[in-house]
Amino acid sequence: MLPSNLLVVWKRKGEILPRYAKLSNVNLEVAGGLIEAYNEHVGEKKKILKAVVTDLENRGYEYRFVRGLALMLDRKGTFICNSKINPVDLRRKIFQATEKIGLPTTKEKRRKIIEAVAPEMALTTENFEEYLYADLDDELILEKFTPPSASELLEQYNLSLSQTLLFDSTELSFTASGNWQTLFYFVKKLGLIYEVYRDNGMWVKIDGPASLFKLTRRYGISIARLLPIIVANPVWMFNAKILWKYTNEICNFKIENQKQGALFKKPILPPVTYDSAAEESFARQFQAIKSGWTLKREPEPVPAGNQVIIPDFSLERAGVKIFLEIVGFWTEEYLFRKAEKLKHLEARMLLLVDEALACEKLTALEKRPQLNFIYYHDKIPLASILRYLETAFKVVKDREIKFLENLQVKFTEPVVSFDEFAARVGISTEAAKAVLAVNPPSGYIAMPNILVSKEKLIQINNRIEECLKRSGKLPLAEAIKVIEAEGVTDASWALTQLGYKIAWHGINSEKAMVSKPST
Amino acid sequence: MPHLWFDKGTILLKGEVGTPYGKWDPRSGCYRLKASYYKDALEYFKESKINYEDDVPNLPPLEQIKSNVELRGYQNKALDNWQRAGNRGVLVLPTAAGKTFIALKAIDLLRTQTLIIVPTLDLIDQWKKRVRECLGVEAGVIGGGEKAVRMVTVSTYDSAYSQAAQLGNKFMFLVFDEVHHLASPGYMQIGEMYIAPFRMGLTATYERSDQRHELLPLIVGDPVYSINIEELAGKHLSPYTYEKVSVELTPEEQQTYDEEMGIFKNYLRQRRIVLKSAADFQKFIMTTGRDPQAREALIARNRALRVAVNSESKLNLLAKRLDEYRDDKILVFTLYNDLVYAISRRFLIPAVTYQTPREERREILANFGNGKYKVIVTSQVLDEGMDVPDATVGLILGGTGSAREYVQRLGRLLRKKEGKTAKLVEIISKETVEVGISSRRRLKTREAS
Repeated sequence: MLPSNLLVVWKRKGEILPRYAKLSNVNLEVAGGLIEAYNEHVGEKKKILKAVVTDLENRGYEYRFVRGLALMLDRKGTFICNSKINPVDLRRKIFQATEKIGLPTTKEKRRKIIEAVAPEMALTTENFEEYLYADLDDELILEKFTPPSASELLEQYNLSLSQTLLFDSTELSFTASGNWQTLFYFVKKLGLIYEVYRDNGMWVKIDGPASLFKLTRRYGISIARLLPIIVANPVWMFNAKILWKYTNEICNFKIENQKQGALFKKPILPPVTYDSAAEESFARQFQAIKSGWTLKREPEPVPAGNQVIIPDFSLERAGVKIFLEIVGFWTEEYLFRKAEKLKHLEARMLLLVDEALACEKLTALEKRPQLNFIYYHDKIPLASILRYLETAFKVVKDREIKFLENLQVKFTEPVVSFDEFAARVGISTEAAKAVLAVNPPSGYIAMPNILVSKEKLIQINNRIEECLKRSGKLPLAEAIKVIEAEGVTDASWALTQLGYKIAWHGINSEKAMVSKPST
Repeated sequence: MPHLWFDKGTILLKGEVGTPYGKWDPRSGCYRLKASYYKDALEYFKESKINYEDDVPNLPPLEQIKSNVELRGYQNKALDNWQRAGNRGVLVLPTAAGKTFIALKAIDLLRTQTLIIVPTLDLIDQWKKRVRECLGVEAGVIGGGEKAVRMVTVSTYDSAYSQAAQLGNKFMFLVFDEVHHLASPGYMQIGEMYIAPFRMGLTATYERSDQRHELLPLIVGDPVYSINIEELAGKHLSPYTYEKVSVELTPEEQQTYDEEMGIFKNYLRQRRIVLKSAADFQKFIMTTGRDPQAREALIARNRALRVAVNSESKLNLLAKRLDEYRDDKILVFTLYNDLVYAISRRFLIPAVTYQTPREERREILANFGNGKYKVIVTSQVLDEGMDVPDATVGLILGGTGSAREYVQRLGRLLRKKEGKTAKLVEIISKETVEVGISSRRRLKTREAS
């Protein structure tokens, strides 16, 4: 971030943009030249660096640009005070001496005072003059300098320039391709308030508590701090309202990755580490058991009214979706707000609440239909969760079964897959099976994954008998091939259905033989 | 039952009841109020006989105050007026009229959690000291890296503003020292983000050139007492004599000055620019952002001024005067930092600028106060409520124009001693009064206020 007197903007008809430094040859040369100058003057006074900058300015480069770059380089260096003794002590000594000896109104008197004091501090008169104000900014020595590349410098400058303009912002709307967890974490941490709306994707509008009463630049600094996190995404776009103090008008500051993305260095953000080890272990345990549910960690934020919910996990099974959150430290207020948000959603959320970390008792909340609580202590109770999921799933399944039973279905194809059928009708496979396998339509036999017409089964029977007649014996593998060629996937199930016996020789299926039972 | 709590500088109100002071906030799904309406909202509930639950204040514990403040006649009158205005309002009193004591007395009377807001870190030190001496309690400090909230706490305007979200519900009484600062657009929000119903503003210069002081009654209360310097002078403050001396530049200096100023004038002539007012000058400064030639002209002008400001002959005259007044306590003032250090080096006397480390600054001012140092040179106007050591002579090194505001402000710092009247001497360069300089100074003053 830069001081506002170094901000250079382009403003027209209510639009405002920082004057970005394109990564052009000219700019790269200026940046490169400055970096080189800093490198060359390691060990020298800051005022020499300032002279280099002044020189560039006098050669006609935009002074705010040059000074901005220099300031960024200052921050990449370490400046130290070059004095063997603390200049403050030295000054105290000399000022006291002046008071005692008398104000030096001539050069001669001045020399005498210094000659009296310098040896006391074990200094020569030259040292004395040098150290007296060695702690002033101009006199500091550039001790170390870590040079960036010219393009890095320009990219950082552009980011800083944007942040500086955002100091004067009253609000910011943005959309981004990801990183939501980090973004919302910072929005909260910086004391900002957000609202979510849809406009070609999800947009987030940000301002602060007092923005409700009047336009204020008060939250500009916090908004500026959010910028690096927004532009760290591969895709982003934002629109900030800038209250331009010089003209007292509100301007739009609008940039997006497609147009300006190349001007910024993508800051590398630390990977988001999740606060609880509980989440980690829950995910691992849950995936180890084959529950039929697909567990997704940190799914996208889910808009709920003008707020969002970012659940820890989403669980999905055959079109049924349940959000799950592991709640560490909590208050009733916190859970209350969560419930308020969930009102807008049809989704259900399961909250795993650590009893040990409670700071309030839940009273009014238990009745809320959107929220379900499972309390735990120490270990996450996998069994209770599965029971809850089963129940939740059953509710949905029952509704579908009812739907299917009322649906008059007529099949014409010889083979019907439950999966395909369920997808076609828009219900879960489980519900389809529950109806069709238990009570198959007339003329059909139910197998584990399909319905097969009786005609089809007779056809298959004929083919198997042919094979047996031809060679007297039929390996299982070959029989399966024959059956699958007929479009029936549950082959061994079909064999047993037709009364064939499978003689196993060991566990190797290649040695297993199919034979017709003696009738 | 409506439930109120503090949310980052505002008050949230949950419940089915609105108030005349709140506004529905769709972002949070409840009513939101400016923190400054806290007392009004509560009164509204009480009068409407609505029960409510109040979780707004989060006050530090009360401490035992032992006050030894005795007020003078006019100070008592000022405090009286303020109390009668409902413990709100602004007191306008000249520098050195003891504003601090009136505020301390008010704290003693209210005995409530108080935040004293001041413009500078120096003033924090000074108030802290006064609180200890006069009220017998340690004051908390917010600002300059410190953050301790106590019953009586002193903060800078900057910290009071930037930390309003955390501090707004911790005090019931706000004292605004140099209250004219509060009228700036940003700081105004301090008034809105704190719940404190009792407020006192102190200043010597109520009116601002931008007229924004007219907004102060909204957040602090009306001016309730005012006394001017003439009414106090002679009795409590001292008069001084004023002398203006101009010196010629040395021939070499004059030549450089003319050359550089020539570049500047040429540019103005070519572009037909006339600089008459501060606004004209500001406009010109803005062109320097776009037009490299304008910038060159500005740089040349600044070089010329630097020559005039740092003129050798001026320093020689300064040497003479310092010698002449060697028995007095002298405050040397100039706006220019470089010159401050040049003087400090040449005469080996303490310098105070914005760059001076805080500890050293404290030490220098203390030593000047107790007489260990008899001369200091500074580029900062030390009058803003600072207890500036009673100098008997003020020496101002001007640029080319006359710095009238500074003359007046510094004049007020001077004290007479043993019947000898205080002196104020302004040293400027002759025949170099230039277009633009006075307007530039006016600009500077505005920035500083």
